[in-house]
Amino acid sequence: MIKLVDVHKSFGDNHVLRGLNLEIDKGKTTVIIGRSGGGKSVLLKHIIGLLKPDKGQVIVDGVDVAGLNDREMNEVRKNFGVLFQGSALFDSMTVGENVAFPLREHTKKKDREIRKIVSERLRAVGLTGVEEIMPSELSGGMRKRAGLARAIALHPQVVLFDEPTTGLDPVMTEAVNELIINTQRDFNLTCVATSHDMQSIFTIGHKIAMIYEGEVVAYGTPEEIRKSENPVLKQFLSGSLEGPINIL
Amino acid sequence: MSVISTEAKVGLFILIALIILGYMSFQVGEYGFGLKKGYLVKAVFDNVSGLEKDASVVIAGVEVGRVEGVSLVHGKALVLMRILPEVMLERDASVSIKTHGVLGDKYVEIVPGTVGEEYLLDGGVITNVKKQADIDQLLRDLGSISSDVMKVTSSLENVISGEEGEANLKAIMTNTRELMENLNNIVKRNDEKVSVMISNFSNASKEMERAFTSLNEIVDKINRGEGTIGQLVKDEGVFDNLDKTIASLREIAEKINEGKGSIGRLVNEEETVDNINASLKSLDTSMEGINKYITKTDQFRTFVSYRGEYLFEEDNAKSYVELKLRPREDKYYIVGVVADPRGKRSVTDRTVDGTTSRIEEWDRNELLFNAEIAKRYKDVVLRGGLLESTGGVGIDYFAFNDDLKLTFEAFDFDSERNPHLKFYAEYGIFNHIYLSAGYDDFISDEGNESPFAGFSIKFEDEDLKYLLSNVPIP
Amino acid sequence: MRNLIVAFDDLGRSVLRTVEEMGSILIFFVSVMVWMFRPPLRLRLIFKQMEFVGVKSLFVVVLTGTFTGMVMALQGYYGFRMFSAESMVGSTVALGMTRELGPVLTALMVTARAGSAMAAELGTMKVTEQIDALYVMSANPIKYLIVPRVIAGVLTLPALTIVADFVGILGGYFVGVPVLGINAGAFVNNITMLVGLDDIYNGLVKAAFFGFILSLFGCYKGFTMTGGAEGVGKATTEAVVLSSISILVSDYFLTAIMF
Ligand SMILES: Nc1ncnc2c1ncn2[C@@H]1O[C@H](COP(=O)(O)OP(=O)(O)O)[C@@H](O)[C@H]1O
Ligand SMILES: [Mg+2]
Repeated sequence: MIKLVDVHKSFGDNHVLRGLNLEIDKGKTTVIIGRSGGGKSVLLKHIIGLLKPDKGQVIVDGVDVAGLNDREMNEVRKNFGVLFQGSALFDSMTVGENVAFPLREHTKKKDREIRKIVSERLRAVGLTGVEEIMPSELSGGMRKRAGLARAIALHPQVVLFDEPTTGLDPVMTEAVNELIINTQRDFNLTCVATSHDMQSIFTIGHKIAMIYEGEVVAYGTPEEIRKSENPVLKQFLSGSLEGPINIL
Repeated sequence: MSVISTEAKVGLFILIALIILGYMSFQVGEYGFGLKKGYLVKAVFDNVSGLEKDASVVIAGVEVGRVEGVSLVHGKALVLMRILPEVMLERDASVSIKTHGVLGDKYVEIVPGTVGEEYLLDGGVITNVKKQADIDQLLRDLGSISSDVMKVTSSLENVISGEEGEANLKAIMTNTRELMENLNNIVKRNDEKVSVMISNFSNASKEMERAFTSLNEIVDKINRGEGTIGQLVKDEGVFDNLDKTIASLREIAEKINEGKGSIGRLVNEEETVDNINASLKSLDTSMEGINKYITKTDQFRTFVSYRGEYLFEEDNAKSYVELKLRPREDKYYIVGVVADPRGKRSVTDRTVDGTTSRIEEWDRNELLFNAEIAKRYKDVVLRGGLLESTGGVGIDYFAFNDDLKLTFEAFDFDSERNPHLKFYAEYGIFNHIYLSAGYDDFISDEGNESPFAGFSIKFEDEDLKYLLSNVPIP
Repeated sequence: MRNLIVAFDDLGRSVLRTVEEMGSILIFFVSVMVWMFRPPLRLRLIFKQMEFVGVKSLFVVVLTGTFTGMVMALQGYYGFRMFSAESMVGSTVALGMTRELGPVLTALMVTARAGSAMAAELGTMKVTEQIDALYVMSANPIKYLIVPRVIAGVLTLPALTIVADFVGILGGYFVGVPVLGINAGAFVNNITMLVGLDDIYNGLVKAAFFGFILSLFGCYKGFTMTGGAEGVGKATTEAVVLSSISILVSDYFLTAIMF
């Protein structure tokens, strides 16, 4: 349902995506791995239309999103939920208002109904009684969960996770991974997650794609990836300094 | 979270702003002239430079309208004014353009016409247009005046500065002192006459005292040609006394004419005359400059006067030489020197071993100075400034076409002693010559109080010029 | 020779950057205007911004206004005393406040307080991807974040300015009348005589314009910032500098047009 065809993207002299091709399966979790600054977040932003490719196509449900106007793009986005790298909770609003935000923007639901859905979503991610708290008062893990609650508030079909476990302690990492797996299964979501945390990759991913130098160099199930002889992939997975990946 | 909601705070804030705006708008209130109510009148001026649309139209300082527009008609300025409907203007009302202060905005002033005249209708024209004082012209004139004044000061400097000038001044001073001595002698020699004169004065002043207590009556009675004044005029005794007084003055004048005494010498001293002539010529040019912009009715006038007062208790004379500059009928400046027999008082504090002693000295050779600003309100003149080299104030009351002057002065205010108070009456007996009598320093706690009598001579600059430039030099 | 070429190159580059920035401000301005007139109008957000820009700036504006009026009275007094025209101090303070200092100083204070905060806030939101989050949730950030700020700037600046005018005149009065001994009646009369409604209203129109400038530029700098936390600081500084200069320059032209 999501297909990227020969996508190129540069920021000035920085050629981030260089003819990237990727097809994401519906109802599965695809994990995108790659080194920091390799263009994982840029890839996600292309899917959701925050960035437009210099060249190539990003096809969602058979439509090239690069050619959509604002209104059409908004319609597409209603099916999407995004959990940003830093959670991106609005820090001028309470956690409850944050989760209620997409509901207020896109539905004509009554205040009471919205409040009910908000606490439901928060409970689904394991948070209770935080509606009136400001995001800045939450811990990193709680912020991720609140962000996830907001991302799934409208029952989207696709949820994008940008480094959901980066910066969390191992216990919290496990908890968030579990949450992603459960949410994906419960709502039958199509998930795309970026990560460079080995444990998470193999826990949550049905499919794994490796980006290197702006292209997908490896794509397959966790078993296929583990067995792959691709030198880049091998170096990345083993965390070795020896190999084609230039750390300079 | 907070007790007051955001909406309430913002609402309150905007409300406060609106109240202040309303208040300020009301304060600078412009009557809502923008509503186009009121009727239009026109007037044609030669020059309306600086008059803007929406400038005020006032009557007696009250805004009654606005300038609606200014346009050019046959090389003149047609001013369209919108006047409040409740304000009626007579046909012969006059209109002129005025300025708030020297540099302020221009506005139109209307002076109402005769009561009972027909009123102007919408679109009516005010034909009685008064010419405005052109500020540019005025400034140009002021420029030439100031250069004239510069000339005067430089020639004055020539007179005063330098050894020659100093010598001249000294000579004048010695002459004055000699004059005083002479006067003294005259008075002594004419002891008898003086006492007669003084008794006459006391008679006269008693009469006058009565007269002033019923001033209203007098005015009435003068109109009818009867009453106290009538009697006074008819009273043989008064005439007799006046005759005698005049006779003694005539004697003095004769002596001066004969070249005796210091006045004669002063007048005949060639150099002095030359110097004074030169300075008078510069004065003359500056007067012309000043007169150029001041109309005849508002002439700048200058007076020079000499006044001698014989202090009975001191057995000595005090004399004044004063220059009076009168730029306007009701305002003038006095500068002068005073020769007091007691001289000038100077006080110095000296501290010796922690105890301060005050030393008071009288310098007989020092002159005292007068420099006053005076303002006239009908018959009363208030003045203030430097009196006998100390701060002070004075009040003059004029009566009988300014022939009689009653004066009260207070100066030399000091916490250590009583102020110097003085009152006197002065009466003009004929052109230029005045007689005076009064009481000097009458609440003095240092024994300076003294009654006095004297005379003064006053000239206007025109007379003075005539007198000095036509004195035959033997 | 080489240096010369480098210098010309730099010059050309900076001219190009300036032109580019002007263009992008213009585009930003147009999209703000477009979104301003697209319903719905988010009253709650506007009120929130008005509270931030207006109510919370009230204190500094009152303080600045009062002291400005006081200083003007003091300075004016020494000048006018030479011409014995002390009562002119009243109208000088009032005209100065209503025409120039009220709007300009208020705008500069609000720029420093709220304009910089707008740049910093939007910059931070950009760095932490909150702006992207808004896009993703189909809430246009220009509509959602910038339009309320610009409207609040335009509405509150005149309100703050009239307060500044008022307290400035009061400050002038308290220095002029009780302290310097100017006649109270003459002082007030001079104000009511020489200050017109136009002076007040034109000052308020200026203030509204300044409010627009400072909120637009504050938002622009924050919204278009790049380069992480450091970029936020840079955007904030640039917003204050750009707004302040624009306020002073446009003040000249507004004055030339109005008075
Ligand atoms: N909006 C942008 N403007 C300019 N450069 C960008 C932008 N977004 C990302 N980049 C650059 O693109 C590269 C890839 O970034 P990103 O996709 O965030 O990396 P990561 O794989 O760690 O998520 C980085 O070098 C980054 O500096
Ligand atoms: Mg990233």
